Formats: sequence, C-alpha cells, structure tokens
Amino acid sequence: MVATERPASAGRLAHDPLDFAAALSRSFAATRDVDATTRHALARIAELMQVEAGAIFLADEAGGDLVCRASTGPVNIDGLVVPQGHGIVGRSVAEDVVLVVENAYDDKAFYAEADKHTGFVTRSILCAPMTVGSSRIGAVEVLNKHDGQPFDDANQNMLKVIASSAGLAISNARLAAKLVEQERLKRELELAAAIQRSLLPPADDALPIAGINRPMREVSGDFYDFFQTPDGIVAFCLGDVSGKGMNAALLMAKTASLFRCLGKTMHDPARLAGILNREISDTASLGMFVTMVIGIYDPSTGMLNFTNAGHMPPLFRRGDGTTETFAAEAPPLGILREARFTTRSLALDRGQFFLYSDGLTEFPVGHDELGIDGLDRLLARQSDARLDDRLAAVLRELDAAGGQARDDLTLLAIDDSLAAHAAGREVAAAFEDGEFLVGFTLISNPNRLKILRPALLAAATACGFETDDAHDFVLGAVEAVENIMIHAYGGGKTGEITLAMHRLPDGIMLRIRDFAPRIDPAKIQPRLLEDVRPGGLGTHFIRTVMDDASFIPMPEGEGNLLELVKRRRARQE
Amino acid sequence: MPVDQISETNGRIVIALSGEIDLETAPAVRKALLDNLKGGKDLLIDLAQVSYIDSSGIASLVESLQLARKQGHDVALIAVSARALRVLELARLDKVFTIHADLTSALAVNDKTAQQ
Repeated sequence: MVATERPASAGRLAHDPLDFAAALSRSFAATRDVDATTRHALARIAELMQVEAGAIFLADEAGGDLVCRASTGPVNIDGLVVPQGHGIVGRSVAEDVVLVVENAYDDKAFYAEADKHTGFVTRSILCAPMTVGSSRIGAVEVLNKHDGQPFDDANQNMLKVIASSAGLAISNARLAAKLVEQERLKRELELAAAIQRSLLPPADDALPIAGINRPMREVSGDFYDFFQTPDGIVAFCLGDVSGKGMNAALLMAKTASLFRCLGKTMHDPARLAGILNREISDTASLGMFVTMVIGIYDPSTGMLNFTNAGHMPPLFRRGDGTTETFAAEAPPLGILREARFTTRSLALDRGQFFLYSDGLTEFPVGHDELGIDGLDRLLARQSDARLDDRLAAVLRELDAAGGQARDDLTLLAIDDSLAAHAAGREVAAAFEDGEFLVGFTLISNPNRLKILRPALLAAATACGFETDDAHDFVLGAVEAVENIMIHAYGGGKTGEITLAMHRLPDGIMLRIRDFAPRIDPAKIQPRLLEDVRPGGLGTHFIRTVMDDASFIPMPEGEGNLLELVKRRRARQE
Repeated sequence: MPVDQISETNGRIVIALSGEIDLETAPAVRKALLDNLKGGKDLLIDLAQVSYIDSSGIASLVESLQLARKQGHDVALIAVSARALRVLELARLDKVFTIHADLTSALAVNDKTAQQ
C-alpha cells in the first residue's frame, strides 16, 4: 500500500490550527451562503499549508458521489464529481481516515481523470475527511507543497483539525439553511391559513346561526359561510373539498367566494348548486370535487330551504327532541356537469338544524367513531346561551375524551328557537292554530280577488310550499271566497269577508269568515265529474287541493267560518 | 282584458285569452265565447297567456263546448299554459277538451278531419 498514515514528525506551523479552526467556524456561522464560505475557507487553508492546489469535496444529497464545491490552484475543478469510493478523496471519506500520498501516480487509488482534463500534475496529496458523528460530510484535499517536500505529521494533524472543524461548520450551516427554508414554508402556510380564516364569516350574535372550523393542518379543505341579505334571509353553506393541503385550500377559497357572490342575489339553493357545479366541473383539476350543503333560512318565519350535494346528511332536531337526517340526493359538485339538484323545504319551528363535516362523525371515540348519533347526543347536551359557545363546547368535549382528530372539524348550527324568540313567534306558538301570519277584510266584490291572490301566494310560499302547490292553495282559497260571493251573499257586492292565514308546522291554515245567513254544509257537494257541465266545480277544487276543508260551527247570526288546511307533501326518504 | 284577440283562420275562429280569469273577468270571457259561436264555426281557444283560471273561467269554457256541440261544431284548446292545464286536470276536463300544442297543429288536425 503506497498511501500511508505517516508517523508523527517535527513540523513547523505557520499559525495555530486551533485558532484557524475557530475563525473558520465563526465565518460559517455568520453566513447562510455555504458555497461562498467554503471557497473562502479553502483559500485560507491553501495559504496556511503552502500548497499549489486544494479542493473541498462534499457528499451529494444521497450521500454517495463526492462533488467538488470549491477548488484553488492553477486549475478550477469546481463541480468535478468523484464516484463513491473512488480516488484518494473517496477512500478518505469512505474509511474516515487522513490519507497521505507521496507520489500520486504510484498509487492505484489515485483518480487521474482530473489531471487528464486539466493538465495539472499531481505529485503529493494530503486528504482529511469531514465527518460529523456518523454523517460523512466530505473531505478537504491539498496537493503539492510549494517547497516540494512531502506532507509531514504536523501537516496531517493540522488538516485533520481544520477538516473536522470545517465539517461541523458546514453541517451547521446546512442545518441552519434548512431551518430557514422550513421557517419560510411555515410562514407561507400560516399566511394561507390566515387568508382562509378571513373567508369564514365573523360571529354575529344578532343571527341565530354560528359556525366553527378547526383545521387538522395549517390549511383546511372545509369551509362554511353565512350572511344576511337585505330582505332578512340568511344564506348559508358548509362544504368539504376533496383532498388536503394547498390544492384543497385553493378550491375551497374559490367555492366559498363563488357562494358569497352568487348567494347575495340567488335565493334558490338548487339553482345556486347547479351553477357552482358547472363552474367547478369546468375549471377544477380532474378528480377534485366539493361536497356541500347550500341553504337559505328566514329567521322571521323559521322556514329553511336547502340542497345537499353529496355531503353528510344535515341533522334536524325538532323542538320536541325528535331528529331527522336528510341524505344527499345529488352528487358532489364538480363530478357530473349535468347533475340536477333539488331544494328541500323545512319548517324549523323552534328546532335546530346542524351541518357538519365528516371529520366530526369520524372522530375516534374509543375503538369506534363518533357517528351522527354521537354528534347528536353531544349537541343535545350543550346548554350555553350563545350558539357559538355551544359549538366550541362540542370540540372541547371531544378533545377531553382523548381522541385525536383525523380530519378538519367543521360545524354549523341554526337555532330557530333563538329566532322565534326574537321574531315574537313564541307567543303565537302557544296557540294550537299555529302562528298567525296575516289577515284581510274585503267586500264581496270579485274585483278584489286580484289583490287577494298575490297575498295568498306569498303566504303559501312563506309556509314552505313549492311553486305548484302554492298555486293550488291560491286556487282553493279563491274558490272558497268566490263561493261566498256567489252563494252566501248571492252576488251582492257589499258583504264583508275576513281571511286569516296561519302558519302550521307542516303547512298553512286559512280561515274565511262571512256574515251572511247560515249555510248548511250538507248542501255543499262537489259535482259529479263525469257530468260535464258548469257549476259545483269550485267546491271540487277546494276539496282536491286542500287537505282539510270544514265549517266551524258558529252561533246563529254570526255568519259562517270555513277552515281550510293544506299540508306540505310528505318527503321521500 | 282576458279576451286578447279574436281572428279567423281557415274558417275557424281563434280566440286568445290572457291574464287572470276569475269571477271578475269570467263574464266577459263567457260572452266572447258564446257570441263567437253564433257564426256557426268551430272555435279555437288559445290559453298560452293565461296565468290564472278558476272554476268560473273553466265553466265558461265548458258552456261554450256544450253549446258548440249542440250546433254540430267543436271547441278546442291550443297552447294551454301550465297553470291552466293544472286546473283542467284538477277538473278532469283535460280529456274532455281537444288540446293542441299550437295553432298550426290544431289547423292540421282539423283539415285532416275535414277531408275524412
């Protein structure tokens, strides 16, 4: 073996290598530019050791090949790659030893490629590894002493000290650079999270609606929103974007912005969902989609309309504690461009309506998941006066149970009992007739009917009837009024008729009173339909479109009171 | 006024009704229909623009149909609006009246009948 670790011999040091090593460490610590500092350090080493050339090799990221990161001397070999284990430098690193070669061309290990390319003639070599713990950083190599002498023990010890010190300094500088990069990424994510939080609506104590969102990572794929339009209607939504991280957060931001923009003017959730669906289908990257519930809620009546696009079933808890859930009838947004969405109508009637992300129902509880039932029990327990406090308490209880969230946790609640109180609906609820909506007095002149019809239609809509059913209600009500004009008042145009509309939990009730002589209900019969001739048709319409039509007995001389009830059609579950 | 337009096409009288036909407006509709049957021609009643019709309006339609048939003529409905169709269905009169999608198809069918 030609390369040998030479025995120690007397050698004169130009400077104290420890001072030099300390200065080197300081200069690395003061900079983030590892390459520049490495070049500077090498120049100082070459000067200190009086050599013709020198190089610092660093192991690449994979820890295999050695790459020259700094070189000094007649030839620049920056970027030269020495394959793992090759050459003197490769061996020095692999075996973690200082190597001295007196005549390079006598040494089989010598990697002569560099000389071939550069014309430099390597005579003697001194190479010291840079190692920190078990991590191989690289090596410092110096070539050909100016005085032509071989490298002695003093030279070896000096380079050994300098190399280990430089290794530590480079390792620290790399670590610092990595930390700086991590810090930058973290700041960017924090900024993204702050922007996302700014998309969530601020809590509003004046509204009977509140939401909470706790992302699992910095950014969330979940979102919710609510706002009140000038007519008092509250538009709301809760969505969950497929996937996690930045992609999901960006699609979430887009969907939330579209909702806020469109929701201000559009009061039909199904139509809004259709527009969002087409927009997301057309522009989102393939495979990304959004599950979402979109709705509007009228705090003055407690009516709620919503559509569910592939999201977890909304949970409705009635005032009496019974619950109902509404599974999605349409796919998530962004999957089928032609998907159709339907709006469901619900009278909250002092009940509570909850939307949530699957992170809640899939929250681990023991060996199981929380589930809809668990979430319902948790929600039912909350008794804070403020709605947002109740939602925060749900998350606190989950944390206290010891589980670890596997997904973003998002929850939105509407408490109609708060709105009913504010709107004075609680007083009306004391009557079993439902809530009085509006009353009219008109004279028995048919030219009043066109004034009455829009009010009837608006009342039916306010009670949650779909358009066709609302028009049926108008038809039945007007027929009843016309019957009074024709039969009770016999065509006279001065008789008084009063109407009172009441909102029922499941429909509408209309009471129509006249002050004409008593009618015998037994004489009022729908005509035979097979008998095609005019007359009697009005009564048939009333019986067909109303669920109930009955005369309430009145004292003699007090006129007649007809009570009509129409219920919303049973939902398919 | 609910009686929008009266015209004569291919020997048939076409009456277009519009707006809301109720106890207030039905008498004018009834009069227009019965008056136009006096000429002894078939009647085509266009209901495309009818936004509301109740039993009083339907009664006028039925009365004109009965009168026309007595005279050996016919009354058919064309372009019935969704609201009017709903009321005709409730009255189960959608099978009693001949209903055409539009004027062109009403005239085509009537021509065929005339040729037979």
